Amino acid sequence: MTKPFNPAIRDFLDGRIWLRMHTPFTSEEIDALIDAGHIQIIKGIESKPSFLNQKRHLCNRCENEDSSRFTTFHCAKCEGPCTYCRQCLKMGRVSSCTELIVWNGEKPQYPTNHTIAWQGTLTPYQQKASDELTDSQNKRVSHLIYAVCGSGKTEILFPPIHKLLTEGKRVCIAAPRVDVILELEPRLRSAFPNTKIEAVYGGSKPTMEASQLVLATTHQLYRFLHAFDAVFVDEADAFPYKADATLQKAVKKAVKPGSPVHYVTATPSDKLLSEMKKTGVVSIINRRYHGHPLPIPKFIPLWNYEKQIRKGKLPRKLIDWTKQRLANKEPFLIFFHHIGLMEEAEPLFQLIDPRIRSVHAAHPDRKEHVQALRNKELPGLLTTTILERGITIPNVQVAVIGAEQQIFDKGALIQIGGRVGRSADYPTGDFILFHNGITYAMDEAKTEIDKLNKGGVRT
Amino acid sequence: MNCLLCEQRLASIPSWKSLLAVEKTSLICENCSKSFERVDIKEEGDVIDQITSIYTYNGAMREYLHQYKFLQDVALAGVFANELRSELARKDAIVVPIPMHPQKKIERTFAHVEEMLASARIPFKDLLIKTNTEVMGEKTREERLSMRNLFAIKPGSTIHNTTYILVDDIYTTGTTLRHAASVLKEAGAKRVEAITLIRAEK
Repeated sequence: MTKPFNPAIRDFLDGRIWLRMHTPFTSEEIDALIDAGHIQIIKGIESKPSFLNQKRHLCNRCENEDSSRFTTFHCAKCEGPCTYCRQCLKMGRVSSCTELIVWNGEKPQYPTNHTIAWQGTLTPYQQKASDELTDSQNKRVSHLIYAVCGSGKTEILFPPIHKLLTEGKRVCIAAPRVDVILELEPRLRSAFPNTKIEAVYGGSKPTMEASQLVLATTHQLYRFLHAFDAVFVDEADAFPYKADATLQKAVKKAVKPGSPVHYVTATPSDKLLSEMKKTGVVSIINRRYHGHPLPIPKFIPLWNYEKQIRKGKLPRKLIDWTKQRLANKEPFLIFFHHIGLMEEAEPLFQLIDPRIRSVHAAHPDRKEHVQALRNKELPGLLTTTILERGITIPNVQVAVIGAEQQIFDKGALIQIGGRVGRSADYPTGDFILFHNGITYAMDEAKTEIDKLNKGGVRT
Repeated sequence: MNCLLCEQRLASIPSWKSLLAVEKTSLICENCSKSFERVDIKEEGDVIDQITSIYTYNGAMREYLHQYKFLQDVALAGVFANELRSELARKDAIVVPIPMHPQKKIERTFAHVEEMLASARIPFKDLLIKTNTEVMGEKTREERLSMRNLFAIKPGSTIHNTTYILVDDIYTTGTTLRHAASVLKEAGAKRVEAITLIRAEK
């Protein structure tokens, strides 16, 4: 005899792994469901003895095993040595005496009637990739969509996602950066108007519904377990995902056992490409959706730019380029390798036009400034690599200051160039690399863009 | 090793002091430690004979305190170990941390001031108990100033006719420290000084 319970608890917890003490429900309700066996308790930290009296720890939420990311202290609550995980600390501390809960009862039923309101049509290239992706999903193997910037990667996902939704399956689109999630959210909401969609990122408010399509930063997948029938990782080569093993594990544990993880990117790492060739399927698109070639980077030397900017003087070439953009009323992005240098340059640019602003990862008005650039309220932005991907602004012109810096590797430069000429109305634009010496990465980026434009790809 | 605050790799510069364990190696990177702003206030008073504060309550410090106390990142207890030790080491006095209410301590799972002292290897004595669970941060200045005494001497401990140094994380209106100092003085302390990591704007 099962007692009735609040279905919101099931809808919220299904597929999640959550701190017992931090649910949006009362502890009485949670306790009752634990007693009834609908909710299972999992220990926060698993500790196993290792050699020399050392212990090996595993965080059951983020699956971190790196011993340097754990701290052991004397806990006043469990009155003994207690270990906590610093990897996922910001989501509420998980320690030895913390309990995690997962939904173990009857699964929620997801609706099968979903409309797709997207009006566009796929190009033959997109259609082929989309069909191949659907095929891989049916076979439950991983798939990589390797498609140049501006080839309409998101639209390729629409048909396979729609098919999964109409089968009552649960789907996640994950991206390493919150900007990408924020850009995807309105597009998917308008494409799937009848579907319960939830965007999950640091600071987002949880909806109490069983959301069938989840858009999440890869960090937030720490808090999901065996939730999805498919996860699509957008911009799979972006920082911090590519360098952080725990984020890669998080994506893999977020899918149901045996369900596939698919990847979408314009600049796959060699590792991902070779892995996918061995164990999955790869679709390649080397044409933008409007058929125009990718903009070729132009190398312009800007000797000793750093010294000049630090002295409070903007190089002539930079002033001329900026003034030209303002005169043509073209929105522009200027990329810097370092926040400090960018902030020193900001007042110098403001002498040309006082409305020029700068953004970086921790900037409080980052979202607003990017929106203002879209709305043409700001003429242009100075930015760190944070805006290198995921953003689309019609007719945007791009310059990189210090393209020789290490942070601008081949992938980053290709992504930055990918911001230019995305819309069919403005298929070209400036992609200038101001440099203090040409690096291999700059050459490789140019070679690869040339090759893609000629129809070939790296294999 | 990575910086405990920004997770950047730490460039460690070997020195005789760190080799001989005179100075604890820094847990945070140079950039992060530069973001904290020294204030080094020293004030004389009658209830508290001398009060020293080391840092201002700027954005970086607010974030540090949030991660340490509210996200319960105990690993951060040692971030200011060197600074605390250089204020406290040479003094010939009994160090007394401002205590937490036992219930609050269980909720937080650790006593934040004691952990700071312990990781700086500064010997201290628990001589006070907190008598209520009220939180200073939730009170207005008027409410704070009119409160009755927050502390009592821990049963079974004796207070000598000597110097005591109270330690707390943050000084705002000074109510907490004045209450603690007056309890110690009533019990026979000759002189009570105080050291706080942070001085907040009143």
